[in-house]
Amino acid sequence: MSRAIVIGAGHNGLVVGALLARAGRAVTIVEQRGEVGGLCAPRALHPGYTVPGVLHDTTGVRRAVTDALGLSRFGLSFESEPPSVLAAHSEHRGVVLHAEAKRSRDELERLRAGDGDGYLAWRGFLARIRGFAAGVLSRKPPLMKPDSLAELLSLARTAIGLRRLGKPDMLELMRVAPMCAADWLQESFRDPLPAAALAAPAAIGACLGPWSAGTAANLLLYECVRGPEVKGGPAALVRALHEAFQAARGEILLESRVTQIRLERGAVAGVELEGGRFLEAPLVVASCDPKSALLGLLEPGSLPLDVEEQVVSLRARGTTAKLELALDGRIEFRGREGERHARAVVADHLDDIERAFDAAKYRQCSQRPHLEVSVPSVDDPSLAPTGKDVVSILAHAAPHDIEGGWSAAARERFAGAVVDALERVAPGTRAKIVARELLTPADLEQRYGLSGGHIHHGEHALDQLLFMRPTQKLARYATPIAGLYLGGSGSHPGGGVTCQPGALAAAAILES
Amino acid sequence: MPTTYDAIVVGAGHNGLTCAAYLAKAGRKVLVLERRASIGGATASEEIYPGFTFSSCSYVVSLLRPQIIRDLELSKHGLEIMPLDWTFSPFEDGSSLLRGPDPEMNRRNIARFSRRDAERYPLFGQAMSELGRMMKPIIESPAPEPSKLTPSTLLELLRLGRRFKGMGEEWLSANLKMMTMSAVDFLSEWFESERLIGPMSVSGIIGTFLGIRSPGTAYVLLHHYMGEIDGSFRAWGFQKGGTGAVAMAIARAARAHGVEIKTDAPVDKVLMTNGQARGVVLVNGDEYHAKAVVSGADPHRTFLGLVGEERLEPEFAKQIKRFKMRGSSGKVNLALDSLPVFPGLDGASHHAMRADITIAPNIDFLERAYDDAKYGRFSREPFMDCVIPSLSDPSVAPPGKHVMSIFVQYAPYNLKEGAADWENQREAFGDAVIDTLARFSPGIKDRILHRHVLTPWDLEQTYGLTEGNIFHGELSLEQLAFMRPAAGWARYRTPVDKLWLCGSGAHPGGGIMAAPGQLCARTMLQARAV
Repeated sequence: MSRAIVIGAGHNGLVVGALLARAGRAVTIVEQRGEVGGLCAPRALHPGYTVPGVLHDTTGVRRAVTDALGLSRFGLSFESEPPSVLAAHSEHRGVVLHAEAKRSRDELERLRAGDGDGYLAWRGFLARIRGFAAGVLSRKPPLMKPDSLAELLSLARTAIGLRRLGKPDMLELMRVAPMCAADWLQESFRDPLPAAALAAPAAIGACLGPWSAGTAANLLLYECVRGPEVKGGPAALVRALHEAFQAARGEILLESRVTQIRLERGAVAGVELEGGRFLEAPLVVASCDPKSALLGLLEPGSLPLDVEEQVVSLRARGTTAKLELALDGRIEFRGREGERHARAVVADHLDDIERAFDAAKYRQCSQRPHLEVSVPSVDDPSLAPTGKDVVSILAHAAPHDIEGGWSAAARERFAGAVVDALERVAPGTRAKIVARELLTPADLEQRYGLSGGHIHHGEHALDQLLFMRPTQKLARYATPIAGLYLGGSGSHPGGGVTCQPGALAAAAILES
Repeated sequence: MPTTYDAIVVGAGHNGLTCAAYLAKAGRKVLVLERRASIGGATASEEIYPGFTFSSCSYVVSLLRPQIIRDLELSKHGLEIMPLDWTFSPFEDGSSLLRGPDPEMNRRNIARFSRRDAERYPLFGQAMSELGRMMKPIIESPAPEPSKLTPSTLLELLRLGRRFKGMGEEWLSANLKMMTMSAVDFLSEWFESERLIGPMSVSGIIGTFLGIRSPGTAYVLLHHYMGEIDGSFRAWGFQKGGTGAVAMAIARAARAHGVEIKTDAPVDKVLMTNGQARGVVLVNGDEYHAKAVVSGADPHRTFLGLVGEERLEPEFAKQIKRFKMRGSSGKVNLALDSLPVFPGLDGASHHAMRADITIAPNIDFLERAYDDAKYGRFSREPFMDCVIPSLSDPSVAPPGKHVMSIFVQYAPYNLKEGAADWENQREAFGDAVIDTLARFSPGIKDRILHRHVLTPWDLEQTYGLTEGNIFHGELSLEQLAFMRPAAGWARYRTPVDKLWLCGSGAHPGGGIMAAPGQLCARTMLQARAV
């Protein structure tokens, strides 16, 4: 059986590799870094402190994929319910949002009469469309113009699924999808805080603020696959994937950077590594981002012009930075002394999130950034010394192309702004910091090879989702080059830790 | 015993008049009731200062459907449109860009900023016109209704589908991209120079509460490429005597078909019996009865005002209440002592002054203007679209003098201090407009004889446009086609039996297009509702 090469040992690369290997292919994963896991790989921050991956949210991991790979045999298990999130506030104790809406109702009602019921209704709608949405996100995107009976059936399945939601929910879904998250959430919440907290995922990786149309779709995408987290977080996921891959006799080459995907007569011949080594293979799956793969690794002119133009136009402007903190003590949120919260969102108001993104439009980083805070040591105390915390923050907005470049001063300024924002909702945190590490989009690009430093391998926007992800001509994992496939977050259903793009790419390869 | 009509139309705007004219043409007895002393609604021209006639609200004509012009013989009734097919964009450094129907001149002018853009510009125009042509059937027929799969809707969908059949998946995806992208992202796929992208992108935001970087604005861009005058595509024009004369022409056509029009006749409520509309009652208590009532007012005013929330199904009332109206623009009308000047104008100044003068120098300028509005302030440095109709039509100003009509965005209805605070901020807003304009046209301040500022608050108070929205509801994706104004009620019929909606709040939306009025009349006649 001929060899298959997977570029990149991130979670999607490992999924493709493991699925192909289990199907009997000889698979080699080529990874430029010295470890597997990509954005999910844990890092040592400070003696005694470990941070999980750049991506710390494993609520989107698709069970169907981990089941197909039998990852439970490799130690993978899930928490019993989706995590609760603290909507932190700069002046009061905020509110805890539970996935099980009933548990948050009373607290929200106390915040503002009506908001508790608004939350119940909002979650209720999501619960009703979840099956349909999850179905769409776990199948390859339908072709708009089906060219075979199978395609027609797949499209019909989607249409019937939509119809079966019943008229009110179907129309509501069609109404909501193109909306802006802010308008949608404000229909359910009168207090600004819950709307701001729930809007957070809408803005991530989109280069848009919550007042931009289409961000509701992003939010739907996130909420409809959200489930319990992986026990042990992204590191545990990567460990299990790695073991599953090895058990299927897959091979991983670390510290091996691909410099070119070599073609012969228009078809893939293999990859060339830095240092000149050539690996022959008729099949290459790029789990790196589409721009890096198709513009960086192919000889210019290899792609048809129209496809190349689409890839050039693909938007991947990173606006998310990561700040890791090692604390000499525990983080304590305002008014919640003694409570433990593994997740918090920091924005009092939707406009705060919008303002944070305004800065990025003018190539500035936000002076009052919007934060998504993870305290992984709450669930996994081994990540920090006893009684202490490690805090992992996704901060917005920090544009990749900041005016004047990411100088030491600019980095210091942004890290300071993030700590200030955290201090407002968790007073006393600053004094506890013993170590700090900032990863700007420029760092992410340099360390992980992400085009534009974009953690989703391309922005989540209405025109870059579903059958348009990453572009209309590349939406089915195959490329115009025989033997070359895409299998990373740049493909449907997109970024975040879902493992779905890798699984769908493997399915597309095995089908053909 | 009051006279009974076949139909009563509420509001003598261009859509109400069009609907009335079509119904009367089919032999129905129609009464139009207008709240104001003059007809036209937001399509009005008014002599606000002696000798100076302003097209106070809408100022250019583009989207008026040619079929309506033919059906109602509007040319015979005084419709006379003079082309406005040049766009002039001055920049602060004294340079400028003039575009128009002369391809060679466009190429030369654009090449000063980018050679590559100059080459691509005509291709872009072709592509957009092509897309626009394809979209035409959509605005020329009622919105397909995906939730009701009756044979007739299936047939309609099939007919639409057949039009798209020859087009490949690529074309469909280009269309979908257009529907979902931002104007800037879309234009950036074509062009590199901000001097071109800035002025071009503003077509995507006119009348919306969106920024040029907001997804969905690329579609509005297309909307403006669908303008059509006398069959020539994407042209804009002035109506002789001001846009009010368009309404006058439609009114004349309507009267010729026997329509009765009463002004100073503000309708208070729709009269209903057993959930059926059977007429209207005026503020003064007069009652008029009819087999059907057609509202040309916006959806909020129609359902929450004329009908009243208490007489609506709660679910429908909820849908109407969340139908977003938020007006975002204002108007400043100037009476000028002499023509304004723009530095750096060469021999082409003749065209430039007759052009649509767009103050949209770069992307960040436009985006900052939007940022102000998002947080409840009028733009300190607004985007402006100016025209000087007196150059093409001397009848609107005294000899040697001029009127300048400035469409200004953004002026959010909901100020941070509340909408009523527009009373206190109106002149400051006018000052911001003139100060910004003066940076592009030095000396303009000295030429101003009179200044007339219309804020969204004024548009609501004077013209009855809820929240000052000139399109009777935002043109955002979730408020278009079968969602306009509410899912399931996009076909002019309303949940109130025998009450119909014919204004811009119905499909296909706003602008001096008159399509909602025409389509509503056609639907009523087909349904034998009158």
